[in-house]
Amino acid sequence: MNDMARVERVVDTGQAKITASDVQVHYGDTHAIKDVNVNIGDKTVTAFIGPSGCGKSTFLRCLNRMNDTIDVCRVKGNILLDGEDIYDKRVDPVQLRAKVGMVFQKPNPFPKSIYDNVAYGPRIHGLAKNKAELDEIVEKSLRRGAIWNEVKDRLDAPGTGLSGGQQQRLCIARAVATEPEVLLMDEPCSALDPIATAQVEELIDELRQRYSVVIVTHSMQQAARVSQKTAFFHLGNLVEFGETGQIFTNPQDPRTESYITGRIG
Amino acid sequence: MTMSEQHIASAFDRELESIQAHIMKMGGLVEAAIGASAASLETRDEELALKVRADDKAIDALEEVIDEEAARLIALRAPTAIDLRLVLSVLKVAGNLERIGDYAKNIAKRNTVLITVPPVNDSAASLRRMAREVEGMLKDALDSYIQRDAELAADVIERDREVDQMYNALFREFLTFMAEEPRSITSCMHLHFIAKNIERMGDHVTSIAEQVIYLVTGARPDEARPKADKTSLTV
Repeated sequence: MNDMARVERVVDTGQAKITASDVQVHYGDTHAIKDVNVNIGDKTVTAFIGPSGCGKSTFLRCLNRMNDTIDVCRVKGNILLDGEDIYDKRVDPVQLRAKVGMVFQKPNPFPKSIYDNVAYGPRIHGLAKNKAELDEIVEKSLRRGAIWNEVKDRLDAPGTGLSGGQQQRLCIARAVATEPEVLLMDEPCSALDPIATAQVEELIDELRQRYSVVIVTHSMQQAARVSQKTAFFHLGNLVEFGETGQIFTNPQDPRTESYITGRIG
Repeated sequence: MTMSEQHIASAFDRELESIQAHIMKMGGLVEAAIGASAASLETRDEELALKVRADDKAIDALEEVIDEEAARLIALRAPTAIDLRLVLSVLKVAGNLERIGDYAKNIAKRNTVLITVPPVNDSAASLRRMAREVEGMLKDALDSYIQRDAELAADVIERDREVDQMYNALFREFLTFMAEEPRSITSCMHLHFIAKNIERMGDHVTSIAEQVIYLVTGARPDEARPKADKTSLTV
């Protein structure tokens, strides 16, 4: 099993981009995340799977402090990005989210032009000195979002006028415009048809050349297709974390086995 | 790891049961073919030999059914983990059983020739003992498959050594016969091929047992299986 050739699947580096240790999350009285320890690799796609309410999205949202916006939510433990504590008081969550971008379940372009959707982040973070530089960032981002060819002739058209799959790729382009190091994706394909899903999955595979990608998905087949590492969450616990091929052929925990084979567990 | 739990999709469970039932049916036919081919050799029963040859068609047909069911399962259910290992093992086991069936059929063919010439000592009885050993191994391998019993499967793998040793002994015996009595060469060549067929059956049973270990543990058996057939190196 171990010498199975995985040329396509080689995990680039053993190096951890994000190190989470003893992470606990409470929503009021609810203990949503229990003692999670995990290393998220650089230039790797990591999939979080598990039944609804298992904590996978909550944990994902800890990684760029999206949970800060929820009053009753308390996060304990350590989450290090390149060795630096992202919950340190000196860390500006807005700056953090430029480095750790996020793509949501439902495509949510701003009610602005395609151009302005992508230019928004670089503008507020002052990444471009002039219009020419901004143009360049927008084009580069739309290319990385694998949507440039479809929109290059109508950059002034509203982003909301695109199809669902195009909107989602626009949102990915918007997320990469601030040159993030990590891209968090919460069910990025659940509102898309199979063709658009395949395009986004292809894009995810390209993005991993450059970024560390973490994807939450309810589709186990999608996790199997796009990720190199898979984490299975259940009732707030990280039950099993391993190489995706191993998780899907020979999971070590009976709860993982029950879940991925579609048994009542 | 045994999976006694049911799938949420109950049709998936029924499909997995069906494919395993076909494996068991095929296994039963193959066990019978081994027994009957060896019996027809010892009792010089031509009718039985012809029956073994005819019955092989049913074995081949079952393999096709199993291959088709497995392909459908992979396409429609996208099995993972234990389910995936089950489907993969089913394909290999069906292939092994089909090969064993072919060897039995080949023995039966040679029997129809051997019946027309005088027997060579008690070699038919020795071959039947060897076939009984392999038949017993196959029965246990199939039991270990259904019971998900990796220990029993490991025991079956170990027992192949005996079959190999029986083959070595027969190989030397046939060489001696042929050297002493050139008129026995035709018979001895057929008998030797029969011995080799039975030895190869043992290898296929071993492969089935290895599939059981993979199915149950998710890992291939760690040690290379015993290889006690030394005749390839005999001068």
